[in-house]
Amino acid sequence: MQFGAAFGAMLIGCAQPAAAHPHIFIDAGLEVIFDDQGRATALRISWTYDDLISLGIISDRGMDEDFDGVLTSAELTAISGFDMEWDAGFAGDTYALLNAAPLAVSGPSDWTASYADAKLTSTHLRRFETPVALADQPLIVQAYDPSYFVAYTIVSQTVLTNRADCTAETFAPDRVAADAVLQAAITEMAGGGDAEGDFPAIGAAYADEVRVSCAAPS
Amino acid sequence: MRRTFLIVGLCVAVLLGVLWATGGYGALQGWVLAAQREAQTTLAGAVRAIKTGQPGAVIGLLSICFGYGVLHAAGPGHGKMLIAGYGMGRRVPVLALSSIALAASLVQAAVAVAVVYAGVAILGWTRKQVEGVAENIMGPAGMIAIAGVGLWLMWRGARRARRMWTSDRAKITDQPQADTHVHTHDHPHVHNDHCGHAHGPSIAEVAGLSGWRDTTALIAGIALRPCSGALFLLILTWQLGIGLAGIGGTFAMGLGTAIVTIGVALLAVWAREGALASLPLNRAARVLPLFEMAAGACVALIALSLLSQSL
Repeated sequence: MQFGAAFGAMLIGCAQPAAAHPHIFIDAGLEVIFDDQGRATALRISWTYDDLISLGIISDRGMDEDFDGVLTSAELTAISGFDMEWDAGFAGDTYALLNAAPLAVSGPSDWTASYADAKLTSTHLRRFETPVALADQPLIVQAYDPSYFVAYTIVSQTVLTNRADCTAETFAPDRVAADAVLQAAITEMAGGGDAEGDFPAIGAAYADEVRVSCAAPS
Repeated sequence: MRRTFLIVGLCVAVLLGVLWATGGYGALQGWVLAAQREAQTTLAGAVRAIKTGQPGAVIGLLSICFGYGVLHAAGPGHGKMLIAGYGMGRRVPVLALSSIALAASLVQAAVAVAVVYAGVAILGWTRKQVEGVAENIMGPAGMIAIAGVGLWLMWRGARRARRMWTSDRAKITDQPQADTHVHTHDHPHVHNDHCGHAHGPSIAEVAGLSGWRDTTALIAGIALRPCSGALFLLILTWQLGIGLAGIGGTFAMGLGTAIVTIGVALLAVWAREGALASLPLNRAARVLPLFEMAAGACVALIALSLLSQSL
């Protein structure tokens, strides 16, 4: 019996993918921009890097050498776009969905950078490929890194620009539920699924998300 | 008494495993995540304090690094998997396994220092290049070493199991009654004297760490992949001209990591002995090769799947 238990413990341990742990912490913020017909046309995403990563990025460039936490305007100009050279495979860690279907968004544009309280903040704009009409279903925007090297937290209240009859709520992941999703996925894989290919989908279960709900368009 | 203690170890390991598998660590994960983030902020503060010449800043950095090491080792990782797998699969003494866990963590720190100082200081690499080398070359190399240990365990276990079966078959024709005797673990020698032959290899024969090759492979498997946090700290402190503090901090991180991997080593040995103690001695000698094969398969499977993901 105990032998069986030990074997079981071993197999359970075996079934756990060795998950990566995050090394970069980002406080994400979101602005949803609507057009005059009340359709969502773009997202402005802000990323505030944790102290250590900020210090690293600043030191890489030999900036703020007096450690007063202030960058000159020349330095700010030079640093702008520091995180906007995206590799071909990088989806941008921001995912928008409507009715559980992913919405196509453009690459980043109109980026900015600032430095305050020893933290670097960048913002960028991503446009929806087709404007999104919001009716009874909320627009969902999730912030996550599928590989979980970066941990995103949505901390600030989402800004809704050009539309007053919408509300935005932020939801933190339910870790217990997310672990259950992970477990279910592992069980499914044991049935012959593609363990590597399917894994990133799990990241969404651990994501902070914003739900934007609007009254029916007038 | 001893037997009860050992079986408790098995129960603890099973409980932790079940808790893990059923998502019972959810709350703990959240806490570790928050603590990691906090450590990262404090670490930046400590680096800044050294740069601005505040007293006691270096000691502060070392202690934060130690804590950072503990936290980063608290999640699942390749080092713990390897130590646990080996500890479950081989009857390695607890002190030997713990020493390997400690040595591996310190060598891992030394590897990080070597990579950064060879790469950044001598070859003039950027942070991205160093991370690329760690991620694309050293990580996979470490995984290959780990998979190698797994396959080696499997092969050795299979060889032993086969030898035992062949010798069993030979005996069954001679003495069909041999296996129906009941033997208790308190009187192991009665068993051999009474039956007048050995049931395959004894516990002592299958036990133990098989020399420097295993030790080297285990340490290499863990140490070849440098911790990203250590690389980051080393590059940062080198850039800021406080390289020695960074090197000290990296080894402090290694010690912190070692605390956790040594804990895993203790638990693995405890659980394994518990499983063996729950069986009569002659059975224990028989299941050891199975344990070895299963642990080896487990280690190899995880390592190869991680490897295929990283390529």
